[in-house]
Amino acid sequence: MLALQILVNGLLLGGLYVLIAQSLNLIFGVMGVVNLAHGAFIVVAGLFTYWFASSTGINPLAALPFVFIVMALVGAGLQPLLVEPLMKMGRSKAELLSLMVTFGLDYVLVELALQVWGSSFVSVPYLQSSWKFAGLDFSQALVVSGVFAALVSALLYWWLNRTDSGKSLLAASQSETGAICCGIDVKRVRMLAFALGVALAAAAGVLVIIVEALAPQTADDLTLLAFVIIALGGLGSYVGVAVAALLLGVAQSVTGYFVGGNAEYVLPYVLLILVMVALPGRFRRA
Amino acid sequence: MSEVDPRGSADAVPALVVENVTTRIGPLTILDGLSLELRAGEVVTVLGANGAGKTTLLRTIAGLYPPRQGHIRLFGESIEGRPAHEITRAGIGHVPSGRELFPRLSVADHLELGGRLSPPARRAELRARMLAMFPVLGRRLGQRAGTLSGGEQQMLAIARALMTDPRVLLLDEPSTGLAPKIVLSVFQTFPMLREQGVSILLAEQSLTLGLTAADRAYVVDQGRIVLSGAAAQLAEDHRVVDTYLGR
Repeated sequence: MLALQILVNGLLLGGLYVLIAQSLNLIFGVMGVVNLAHGAFIVVAGLFTYWFASSTGINPLAALPFVFIVMALVGAGLQPLLVEPLMKMGRSKAELLSLMVTFGLDYVLVELALQVWGSSFVSVPYLQSSWKFAGLDFSQALVVSGVFAALVSALLYWWLNRTDSGKSLLAASQSETGAICCGIDVKRVRMLAFALGVALAAAAGVLVIIVEALAPQTADDLTLLAFVIIALGGLGSYVGVAVAALLLGVAQSVTGYFVGGNAEYVLPYVLLILVMVALPGRFRRA
Repeated sequence: MSEVDPRGSADAVPALVVENVTTRIGPLTILDGLSLELRAGEVVTVLGANGAGKTTLLRTIAGLYPPRQGHIRLFGESIEGRPAHEITRAGIGHVPSGRELFPRLSVADHLELGGRLSPPARRAELRARMLAMFPVLGRRLGQRAGTLSGGEQQMLAIARALMTDPRVLLLDEPSTGLAPKIVLSVFQTFPMLREQGVSILLAEQSLTLGLTAADRAYVVDQGRIVLSGAAAQLAEDHRVVDTYLGR
Protein backbone atom coordinates (compact mmCIF):
# COMPACT_ATOMS: atom_id res chain seq x y z
CA MET A 1 0.00 0.00 0.00
CA LEU A 2 2.89 2.28 0.77
CA ALA A 3 4.26 1.47 -2.65
CA LEU A 4 0.98 2.63 -4.17
CA GLN A 5 1.16 5.88 -2.24
CA ILE A 6 4.68 6.55 -3.48
CA LEU A 7 3.69 5.65 -7.03
CA VAL A 8 0.60 7.88 -7.08
CA ASN A 9 2.50 10.80 -5.55
CA GLY A 10 5.19 10.30 -8.18
CA LEU A 11 2.68 10.23 -11.02
CA LEU A 12 1.00 13.41 -9.76
CA LEU A 13 4.34 15.17 -9.55
CA GLY A 14 5.09 13.74 -13.00
CA GLY A 15 1.85 15.23 -14.31
CA LEU A 16 3.13 18.63 -13.27
CA TYR A 17 6.47 17.90 -14.92
CA VAL A 18 4.75 16.98 -18.20
CA LEU A 19 3.38 20.50 -18.45
CA ILE A 20 6.67 22.11 -17.35
CA ALA A 21 8.59 20.18 -20.00
CA GLN A 22 6.06 20.12 -22.84
CA SER A 23 5.92 23.90 -23.06
CA LEU A 24 9.71 24.05 -23.53
CA ASN A 25 9.50 21.17 -25.98
CA LEU A 26 6.92 22.98 -28.09
CA ILE A 27 9.16 25.99 -28.66
CA PHE A 28 12.21 23.83 -29.25
CA GLY A 29 10.37 21.59 -31.72
CA VAL A 30 9.31 24.41 -34.00
CA MET A 31 12.23 26.81 -33.73
CA GLY A 32 15.19 24.76 -32.54
CA VAL A 33 15.39 27.29 -29.73
CA VAL A 34 15.99 26.21 -26.14
CA ASN A 35 14.15 28.97 -24.31
CA LEU A 36 16.38 29.67 -21.30
CA ALA A 37 13.78 32.10 -19.92
CA HIS A 38 11.39 29.15 -19.54
CA GLY A 39 11.76 28.88 -15.75
CA ALA A 40 11.47 32.64 -15.39
CA PHE A 41 8.05 32.56 -17.05
CA ILE A 42 6.99 29.78 -14.66
CA VAL A 43 8.23 31.73 -11.64
CA VAL A 44 6.72 35.06 -12.69
CA ALA A 45 3.34 33.41 -13.26
CA GLY A 46 3.61 31.55 -9.96
CA LEU A 47 4.55 34.62 -7.94
CA PHE A 48 1.82 36.63 -9.62
CA THR A 49 -0.67 33.94 -8.61
CA TYR A 50 0.65 34.10 -5.02
CA TRP A 51 0.18 37.87 -4.99
CA PHE A 52 -3.26 37.58 -6.57
CA ALA A 53 -4.53 34.84 -4.23
CA SER A 54 -3.08 36.32 -1.04
CA SER A 55 -4.26 39.87 -1.69
CA THR A 56 -7.75 39.04 -2.95
CA GLY A 57 -8.45 35.78 -1.17
CA ILE A 58 -9.77 34.32 -4.42
CA ASN A 59 -9.04 30.70 -5.37
CA PRO A 60 -5.58 30.67 -7.04
CA LEU A 61 -6.81 28.42 -9.83
CA ALA A 62 -9.08 31.27 -10.91
CA ALA A 63 -5.91 33.08 -12.00
CA LEU A 64 -5.10 30.32 -14.51
CA PRO A 65 -7.14 31.49 -17.54
CA PHE A 66 -6.09 35.09 -17.01
CA VAL A 67 -2.39 34.22 -16.63
CA PHE A 68 -2.58 31.93 -19.65
CA ILE A 69 -4.04 34.61 -21.93
CA VAL A 70 -1.81 37.45 -20.72
CA MET A 71 1.35 35.37 -21.04
CA ALA A 72 0.32 34.14 -24.49
CA LEU A 73 0.12 37.80 -25.52
CA VAL A 74 3.50 38.49 -23.88
CA GLY A 75 4.99 35.56 -25.80
CA ALA A 76 3.38 36.71 -29.05
CA GLY A 77 4.85 40.16 -28.47
CA LEU A 78 8.35 39.01 -27.53
CA GLN A 79 8.82 36.44 -30.30
CA PRO A 80 8.89 38.85 -33.29
CA LEU A 81 11.15 41.20 -31.32
CA LEU A 82 13.68 38.80 -29.88
CA VAL A 83 13.56 35.42 -31.60
CA GLU A 84 12.22 35.87 -35.14
CA PRO A 85 15.06 38.13 -36.32
CA LEU A 86 17.49 35.30 -35.51
CA MET A 87 15.62 32.81 -37.68
CA LYS A 88 16.88 34.43 -40.87
CA MET A 89 20.48 33.65 -39.93
CA GLY A 90 20.26 29.92 -40.51
CA ARG A 91 19.55 27.19 -38.04
CA SER A 92 22.94 26.71 -36.37
CA LYS A 93 23.64 30.41 -35.86
CA ALA A 94 20.08 30.94 -34.67
CA GLU A 95 20.44 28.18 -32.09
CA LEU A 96 23.48 29.77 -30.47
CA LEU A 97 22.22 33.36 -30.63
CA SER A 98 18.81 32.37 -29.29
CA LEU A 99 20.49 30.84 -26.25
CA MET A 100 22.11 34.20 -25.56
CA VAL A 101 18.93 36.18 -26.20
CA THR A 102 16.73 33.97 -24.02
CA PHE A 103 19.42 33.91 -21.32
CA GLY A 104 19.31 37.70 -21.30
CA LEU A 105 15.53 37.61 -21.15
CA ASP A 106 15.76 35.17 -18.23
CA TYR A 107 18.03 37.59 -16.38
CA VAL A 108 15.72 40.53 -16.95
CA LEU A 109 12.63 38.60 -15.84
CA VAL A 110 14.31 37.21 -12.71
CA GLU A 111 15.66 40.64 -11.71
CA LEU A 112 12.24 42.19 -12.27
CA ALA A 113 10.61 39.49 -10.16
CA LEU A 114 13.18 40.12 -7.40
CA GLN A 115 12.37 43.83 -7.48
CA VAL A 116 8.64 43.23 -7.32
CA TRP A 117 8.35 40.25 -4.97
CA GLY A 118 11.73 40.01 -3.22
CA SER A 119 13.80 36.87 -2.81
CA SER A 120 11.89 34.96 -0.16
CA PHE A 121 10.23 31.67 -0.94
CA VAL A 122 6.46 31.81 -0.99
CA SER A 123 3.68 29.32 -1.56
CA VAL A 124 -0.07 29.69 -1.81
CA PRO A 125 -1.83 28.34 1.29
CA TYR A 126 -4.48 26.50 -0.68
CA LEU A 127 -5.82 22.98 -0.11
CA GLN A 128 -3.53 22.29 2.81
CA SER A 129 -5.25 19.11 3.95
CA SER A 130 -5.16 15.69 2.41
CA TRP A 131 -7.63 13.17 1.09
CA LYS A 132 -7.66 9.82 2.83
CA PHE A 133 -8.22 6.92 0.51
CA ALA A 134 -7.79 3.22 1.38
CA GLY A 135 -5.68 4.13 4.38
CA LEU A 136 -3.42 6.43 2.34
CA ASP A 137 -2.97 10.20 2.46
CA PHE A 138 -2.96 12.23 -0.72
CA SER A 139 -2.10 15.90 -0.56
CA GLN A 140 -5.06 17.74 -2.07
CA ALA A 141 -2.84 20.41 -3.56
CA LEU A 142 -0.70 17.83 -5.35
CA VAL A 143 -3.74 15.93 -6.64
CA VAL A 144 -5.39 19.08 -7.98
CA SER A 145 -2.31 20.55 -9.63
CA GLY A 146 -1.02 17.21 -10.96
CA VAL A 147 -4.39 16.37 -12.51
CA PHE A 148 -4.86 19.88 -13.88
CA ALA A 149 -1.40 19.88 -15.43
CA ALA A 150 -2.00 16.48 -17.01
CA LEU A 151 -5.30 17.73 -18.40
CA VAL A 152 -3.73 20.83 -19.94
CA SER A 153 -0.98 18.66 -21.47
CA ALA A 154 -3.59 16.26 -22.85
CA LEU A 155 -5.41 19.21 -24.37
CA LEU A 156 -2.17 20.34 -26.00
CA TYR A 157 -1.62 16.85 -27.38
CA TRP A 158 -5.15 16.73 -28.74
CA TRP A 159 -4.75 20.16 -30.34
CA LEU A 160 -1.44 19.20 -31.97
CA ASN A 161 -2.74 15.97 -33.46
CA ARG A 162 -6.36 16.69 -34.24
CA THR A 163 -6.65 20.28 -35.44
CA ASP A 164 -5.46 21.98 -38.59
CA SER A 165 -3.43 24.62 -36.74
CA GLY A 166 -1.91 21.98 -34.45
CA LYS A 167 -0.93 19.76 -37.35
CA SER A 168 0.54 22.74 -39.18
CA LEU A 169 2.73 23.31 -36.14
CA LEU A 170 3.87 19.67 -36.07
CA ALA A 171 4.52 19.83 -39.82
CA ALA A 172 6.59 23.01 -39.52
CA SER A 173 8.64 21.45 -36.73
CA GLN A 174 9.42 18.37 -38.84
CA SER A 175 10.19 20.14 -42.10
CA GLU A 176 9.98 23.88 -42.58
CA THR A 177 10.33 23.63 -46.36
CA GLY A 178 7.70 20.89 -46.44
CA ALA A 179 5.33 23.11 -44.48
CA ILE A 180 5.86 25.97 -46.92
CA CYS A 181 5.08 23.54 -49.75
CA CYS A 182 1.66 23.09 -48.10
CA GLY A 183 1.11 26.86 -48.05
CA ILE A 184 1.69 27.08 -44.29
CA ASP A 185 2.84 30.49 -43.04
CA VAL A 186 5.82 29.25 -41.04
CA LYS A 187 6.54 32.64 -39.51
CA ARG A 188 3.07 32.70 -38.00
CA VAL A 189 3.47 29.15 -36.76
CA ARG A 190 6.70 30.12 -34.97
CA MET A 191 4.96 33.01 -33.25
CA LEU A 192 2.08 30.76 -32.26
CA ALA A 193 4.46 28.14 -30.86
CA PHE A 194 6.35 30.70 -28.79
CA ALA A 195 3.16 32.31 -27.49
CA LEU A 196 1.68 28.94 -26.60
CA GLY A 197 4.94 27.74 -25.03
CA VAL A 198 5.14 30.80 -22.79
CA ALA A 199 1.43 30.54 -21.89
CA LEU A 200 1.78 26.87 -20.98
CA ALA A 201 4.89 27.59 -18.89
CA ALA A 202 2.86 30.25 -17.08
CA ALA A 203 0.00 27.80 -16.55
CA ALA A 204 2.56 25.43 -15.02
CA GLY A 205 3.69 28.26 -12.73
CA VAL A 206 0.15 28.72 -11.38
CA LEU A 207 -0.01 25.00 -10.59
CA VAL A 208 3.52 24.70 -9.17
CA ILE A 209 3.08 27.42 -6.57
CA ILE A 210 0.12 25.53 -5.11
CA VAL A 211 2.42 22.59 -4.42
CA GLU A 212 5.88 24.02 -3.87
CA ALA A 213 7.37 27.26 -2.62
CA LEU A 214 8.89 29.40 -5.37
CA ALA A 215 11.24 32.38 -5.42
CA PRO A 216 12.61 34.27 -8.44
CA GLN A 217 16.00 32.59 -8.07
CA THR A 218 14.46 29.12 -8.62
CA ALA A 219 13.82 30.02 -12.29
CA ASP A 220 16.98 28.41 -13.59
CA ASP A 221 16.39 25.19 -11.64
CA LEU A 222 13.02 24.89 -13.36
CA THR A 223 14.54 25.54 -16.79
CA LEU A 224 17.13 22.86 -16.15
CA LEU A 225 14.50 20.43 -14.87
CA ALA A 226 12.46 20.95 -18.04
CA PHE A 227 15.57 20.53 -20.17
CA VAL A 228 16.53 17.28 -18.41
CA ILE A 229 13.06 15.90 -19.14
CA ILE A 230 13.03 16.79 -22.83
CA ALA A 231 16.57 15.47 -23.18
CA LEU A 232 15.48 12.17 -21.58
CA GLY A 233 12.27 11.96 -23.59
CA GLY A 234 13.77 12.99 -26.93
CA LEU A 235 13.86 16.61 -28.11
CA GLY A 236 10.76 17.38 -30.12
CA SER A 237 8.91 14.16 -29.22
CA TYR A 238 5.70 14.76 -27.28
CA VAL A 239 4.97 11.20 -26.22
CA GLY A 240 8.59 10.57 -25.21
CA VAL A 241 8.68 13.72 -23.11
CA ALA A 242 5.40 12.86 -21.35
CA VAL A 243 6.74 9.41 -20.46
CA ALA A 244 10.06 10.85 -19.25
CA ALA A 245 8.24 13.41 -17.08
CA LEU A 246 6.07 10.77 -15.41
CA LEU A 247 9.07 8.50 -14.86
CA LEU A 248 11.07 11.32 -13.33
CA GLY A 249 8.16 12.14 -11.01
CA VAL A 250 7.99 8.54 -9.83
CA ALA A 251 11.78 8.26 -9.53
CA GLN A 252 11.87 11.40 -7.38
CA SER A 253 9.03 10.16 -5.22
CA VAL A 254 10.82 6.85 -4.67
CA THR A 255 14.18 8.51 -3.96
CA GLY A 256 12.56 10.99 -1.62
CA TYR A 257 11.07 8.19 0.42
CA PHE A 258 13.93 5.72 0.52
CA VAL A 259 16.95 7.99 0.46
CA GLY A 260 15.39 11.16 1.79
CA GLY A 261 17.05 14.47 2.39
CA ASN A 262 17.80 16.34 -0.77
CA ALA A 263 18.48 13.28 -2.89
CA GLU A 264 15.30 13.77 -4.92
CA TYR A 265 16.42 17.23 -5.96
CA VAL A 266 19.78 15.94 -7.11
CA LEU A 267 18.23 13.09 -9.06
CA PRO A 268 17.37 15.01 -12.28
CA TYR A 269 20.96 16.17 -12.62
CA VAL A 270 22.35 12.71 -11.98
CA LEU A 271 20.03 11.42 -14.69
CA LEU A 272 21.11 14.19 -17.04
CA ILE A 273 24.76 13.29 -16.61
CA LEU A 274 24.01 9.60 -17.08
CA VAL A 275 22.05 10.29 -20.25
CA MET A 276 24.77 12.55 -21.63
CA VAL A 277 27.41 9.91 -21.03
CA ALA A 278 25.42 6.86 -22.08
CA LEU A 279 23.16 8.19 -24.85
CA PRO A 280 24.65 11.32 -26.39
CA GLY A 281 22.46 10.76 -29.46
CA ARG A 282 19.43 11.64 -27.33
CA PHE A 283 20.35 15.29 -27.71
CA ARG A 284 19.63 15.26 -31.37
CA ARG A 285 16.16 16.21 -32.52
CA ALA A 286 13.77 13.30 -32.57
CA MET B 1 4.51 12.13 -74.88
CA SER B 2 2.24 14.23 -77.05
CA GLU B 3 3.68 17.04 -79.08
CA VAL B 4 2.85 20.60 -78.17
CA ASP B 5 2.70 22.94 -81.13
CA PRO B 6 4.81 25.93 -80.15
CA ARG B 7 3.08 28.25 -82.63
CA GLY B 8 -0.35 27.30 -81.34
CA SER B 9 0.39 28.24 -77.74
CA ALA B 10 2.64 31.23 -78.43
CA ASP B 11 -0.25 33.71 -78.22
CA ALA B 12 -1.63 32.34 -74.99
CA VAL B 13 -0.27 33.59 -71.65
CA PRO B 14 2.54 31.23 -70.61
CA ALA B 15 2.03 29.25 -67.41
CA LEU B 16 5.35 30.39 -66.02
CA VAL B 17 7.85 32.99 -67.15
CA VAL B 18 11.26 33.37 -65.55
CA GLU B 19 12.85 36.54 -66.85
CA ASN B 20 16.46 37.51 -66.29
CA VAL B 21 16.50 36.16 -62.73
CA THR B 22 19.59 36.48 -60.55
CA THR B 23 19.81 34.71 -57.20
CA ARG B 24 22.65 35.00 -54.73
CA ILE B 25 23.21 32.77 -51.74
CA GLY B 26 25.68 34.47 -49.44
CA PRO B 27 28.51 35.73 -51.61
CA LEU B 28 27.80 33.31 -54.45
CA THR B 29 25.79 34.12 -57.56
CA ILE B 30 23.95 30.87 -58.27
CA LEU B 31 21.51 32.08 -60.92
CA ASP B 32 22.97 34.65 -63.28
CA GLY B 33 20.29 36.36 -65.37
CA LEU B 34 18.43 33.17 -66.17
CA SER B 35 15.31 33.20 -68.35
CA LEU B 36 12.93 30.44 -69.36
CA GLU B 37 9.31 29.84 -70.19
CA LEU B 38 6.81 27.10 -69.47
CA ARG B 39 3.68 27.07 -71.62
CA ALA B 40 0.35 25.87 -70.34
CA GLY B 41 0.11 22.08 -70.50
CA GLU B 42 3.80 21.58 -71.20
CA VAL B 43 6.35 19.35 -69.53
CA VAL B 44 9.68 21.15 -69.61
CA THR B 45 12.89 19.80 -68.17
CA VAL B 46 15.82 21.77 -66.83
CA LEU B 47 18.97 19.75 -67.31
CA GLY B 48 22.33 20.39 -65.79
CA ALA B 49 25.20 18.85 -63.87
CA ASN B 50 25.38 18.89 -60.10
CA GLY B 51 25.71 22.49 -58.90
CA ALA B 52 24.54 24.06 -62.16
CA GLY B 53 21.73 25.86 -60.34
CA LYS B 54 18.69 23.64 -60.98
CA THR B 55 17.59 23.38 -57.37
CA THR B 56 18.21 27.09 -56.76
CA LEU B 57 16.09 27.87 -59.81
CA LEU B 58 13.17 25.83 -58.50
CA ARG B 59 13.57 27.21 -54.99
CA THR B 60 13.66 30.76 -56.35
CA ILE B 61 10.46 30.20 -58.34
CA ALA B 62 8.86 28.70 -55.20
CA GLY B 63 9.88 31.80 -53.24
CA LEU B 64 12.28 30.04 -50.88
CA TYR B 65 15.08 32.30 -52.12
CA PRO B 66 14.26 35.88 -53.02
CA PRO B 67 15.69 36.77 -56.44
CA ARG B 68 18.09 39.74 -56.48
CA GLN B 69 16.69 40.85 -59.80
CA GLY B 70 14.40 39.74 -62.58
CA HIS B 71 10.75 38.76 -62.77
CA ILE B 72 8.77 35.60 -62.27
CA ARG B 73 5.24 35.46 -63.63
CA LEU B 74 2.58 32.81 -63.09
CA PHE B 75 -0.03 33.09 -65.84
CA GLY B 76 0.92 36.73 -66.25
CA GLU B 77 0.75 37.51 -62.54
CA SER B 78 3.99 38.72 -60.98
CA ILE B 79 4.97 36.53 -58.00
CA GLU B 80 8.62 37.30 -57.28
CA GLY B 81 9.37 38.65 -53.82
CA ARG B 82 6.20 37.27 -52.27
CA PRO B 83 6.46 35.07 -49.17
CA ALA B 84 6.93 31.43 -50.17
CA HIS B 85 3.70 30.16 -48.64
CA GLU B 86 1.75 32.73 -50.65
CA ILE B 87 3.42 31.52 -53.83
CA THR B 88 2.21 28.02 -52.95
CA ARG B 89 -1.27 29.48 -52.52
CA ALA B 90 -1.00 31.30 -55.85
CA GLY B 91 -0.72 27.94 -57.60
CA ILE B 92 2.87 26.69 -57.61
CA GLY B 93 3.27 23.18 -56.29
CA HIS B 94 6.81 22.26 -55.25
CA VAL B 95 8.28 18.81 -54.83
CA PRO B 96 11.57 19.87 -53.27
CA SER B 97 14.84 17.98 -53.41
CA GLY B 98 15.14 15.68 -50.43
CA ARG B 99 11.31 15.48 -50.49
CA GLU B 100 10.96 17.37 -47.19
CA LEU B 101 8.21 15.13 -45.85
CA PHE B 102 7.10 15.15 -42.21
CA PRO B 103 8.66 11.90 -40.96
CA ARG B 104 6.41 11.46 -37.93
CA LEU B 105 3.13 12.40 -39.61
CA SER B 106 0.97 9.87 -41.44
CA VAL B 107 0.36 9.65 -45.18
CA ALA B 108 -3.23 10.83 -44.55
CA ASP B 109 -1.89 13.85 -42.62
CA HIS B 110 0.31 14.82 -45.57
CA LEU B 111 -2.64 14.75 -47.95
CA GLU B 112 -4.72 16.72 -45.48
CA LEU B 113 -2.02 19.36 -44.97
CA GLY B 114 -1.49 19.70 -48.71
CA GLY B 115 -5.22 20.17 -49.25
CA ARG B 116 -5.85 22.47 -46.29
CA LEU B 117 -6.27 25.54 -48.50
CA SER B 118 -8.92 24.05 -50.77
CA PRO B 119 -12.62 24.01 -49.92
CA PRO B 120 -13.75 20.61 -48.51
CA ALA B 121 -15.43 19.40 -51.70
CA ARG B 122 -12.37 20.17 -53.83
CA ARG B 123 -10.11 18.63 -51.18
CA ALA B 124 -12.08 15.37 -51.29
CA GLU B 125 -11.90 15.37 -55.10
CA LEU B 126 -8.13 15.94 -55.09
CA ARG B 127 -7.64 13.27 -52.47
CA ALA B 128 -9.62 10.71 -54.46
CA ARG B 129 -7.57 11.62 -57.53
CA MET B 130 -4.28 11.15 -55.65
CA LEU B 131 -5.33 7.76 -54.35
CA ALA B 132 -6.29 6.72 -57.88
CA MET B 133 -2.97 7.96 -59.23
CA PHE B 134 -0.89 6.43 -56.44
CA PRO B 135 -2.85 3.40 -55.18
CA VAL B 136 0.03 2.41 -52.90
CA LEU B 137 -0.54 5.54 -50.80
CA GLY B 138 -4.11 4.43 -50.20
CA ARG B 139 -2.80 1.25 -48.59
CA ARG B 140 -0.43 3.25 -46.35
CA LEU B 141 -2.76 6.01 -45.15
CA GLY B 142 -2.12 5.44 -41.44
CA GLN B 143 1.61 4.86 -41.82
CA ARG B 144 4.19 7.47 -40.85
CA ALA B 145 6.01 9.02 -43.79
CA GLY B 146 9.38 8.16 -42.24
CA THR B 147 8.63 4.44 -42.57
CA LEU B 148 7.80 4.52 -46.30
CA SER B 149 10.15 3.25 -49.00
CA GLY B 150 11.99 5.80 -51.14
CA GLY B 151 9.57 5.39 -54.04
CA GLU B 152 6.54 5.73 -51.79
CA GLN B 153 8.05 8.83 -50.20
CA GLN B 154 8.56 10.40 -53.62
CA MET B 155 4.99 9.64 -54.57
CA LEU B 156 3.79 11.15 -51.30
CA ALA B 157 5.84 14.30 -51.91
CA ILE B 158 4.26 14.63 -55.36
CA ALA B 159 0.78 13.89 -53.99
CA ARG B 160 1.24 16.47 -51.23
CA ALA B 161 2.22 19.10 -53.80
CA LEU B 162 -0.71 18.18 -56.06
CA MET B 163 -3.11 18.43 -53.11
CA THR B 164 -2.39 22.19 -53.11
CA ASP B 165 -4.21 22.20 -56.48
CA PRO B 166 -1.32 23.81 -58.39
CA ARG B 167 -1.33 25.16 -61.92
CA VAL B 168 2.42 24.66 -62.19
CA LEU B 169 4.28 21.77 -60.58
CA LEU B 170 8.00 22.08 -59.84
CA LEU B 171 9.70 18.69 -59.56
CA ASP B 172 13.22 18.68 -58.18
CA GLU B 173 15.03 15.52 -59.31
CA PRO B 174 12.29 13.08 -58.43
CA SER B 175 14.49 10.26 -59.75
CA THR B 176 17.09 10.65 -56.98
CA GLY B 177 17.59 7.44 -55.07
CA LEU B 178 14.87 5.56 -56.92
CA ALA B 179 15.05 2.35 -58.93
CA PRO B 180 14.57 2.97 -62.69
CA LYS B 181 11.27 1.09 -62.68
CA ILE B 182 9.89 3.37 -59.96
CA VAL B 183 11.16 6.48 -61.74
CA LEU B 184 9.23 5.39 -64.82
CA SER B 185 6.06 4.91 -62.79
CA VAL B 186 6.51 8.44 -61.41
CA PHE B 187 7.04 9.87 -64.90
CA GLN B 188 4.02 7.95 -66.20
CA THR B 189 1.82 10.24 -64.12
CA PHE B 190 2.82 13.26 -66.25
CA PRO B 191 0.22 12.72 -69.01
CA MET B 192 -2.48 12.45 -66.33
CA LEU B 193 -1.31 15.70 -64.76
CA ARG B 194 -1.26 17.40 -68.13
CA GLU B 195 -4.89 16.37 -68.66
CA GLN B 196 -5.71 17.94 -65.31
CA GLY B 197 -4.24 21.23 -66.51
CA VAL B 198 -1.00 21.06 -64.54
CA SER B 199 2.13 22.29 -66.34
CA ILE B 200 5.37 20.70 -65.18
CA LEU B 201 8.88 22.05 -64.73
CA LEU B 202 11.20 19.13 -64.06
CA ALA B 203 14.77 19.57 -62.84
CA GLU B 204 16.77 16.51 -63.77
CA GLN B 205 20.38 15.50 -63.69
CA SER B 206 19.91 12.47 -65.89
CA LEU B 207 19.83 13.51 -69.55
CA THR B 208 18.02 10.42 -70.75
CA LEU B 209 15.33 10.62 -68.10
CA GLY B 210 14.75 14.33 -68.52
CA LEU B 211 14.59 14.22 -72.29
CA THR B 212 12.29 11.18 -72.34
CA ALA B 213 9.80 12.80 -70.03
CA ALA B 214 9.69 16.31 -71.45
CA ASP B 215 8.38 18.22 -74.49
CA ARG B 216 11.15 20.80 -74.34
CA ALA B 217 14.38 21.19 -72.42
CA TYR B 218 16.74 23.84 -71.15
CA VAL B 219 20.35 23.10 -70.28
CA VAL B 220 21.72 25.10 -67.37
CA ASP B 221 25.38 25.72 -66.68
CA GLN B 222 26.75 28.05 -64.02
CA GLY B 223 23.36 29.64 -63.47
CA ARG B 224 22.66 30.41 -67.12
CA ILE B 225 20.71 28.75 -69.90
CA VAL B 226 23.27 27.54 -72.42
CA LEU B 227 21.02 25.47 -74.69
CA SER B 228 17.32 25.01 -75.25
CA GLY B 229 14.97 23.34 -77.67
CA ALA B 230 12.58 20.47 -78.26
CA ALA B 231 13.51 17.43 -76.19
CA ALA B 232 13.77 15.17 -79.23
CA GLN B 233 16.10 17.65 -80.90
CA LEU B 234 18.37 18.09 -77.90
CA ALA B 235 18.65 14.33 -77.51
CA GLU B 236 20.61 14.36 -80.78
CA ASP B 237 22.74 17.38 -79.89
CA HIS B 238 26.29 16.54 -78.79
CA ARG B 239 26.68 19.99 -77.19
CA VAL B 240 24.36 18.84 -74.38
CA VAL B 241 26.82 16.16 -73.34
CA ASP B 242 29.71 18.58 -73.79
CA THR B 243 28.15 20.97 -71.32
CA TYR B 244 27.84 18.16 -68.81
CA LEU B 245 31.46 17.20 -69.19
CA GLY B 246 32.56 20.83 -68.99
CA ARG B 247 33.92 20.99 -72.54
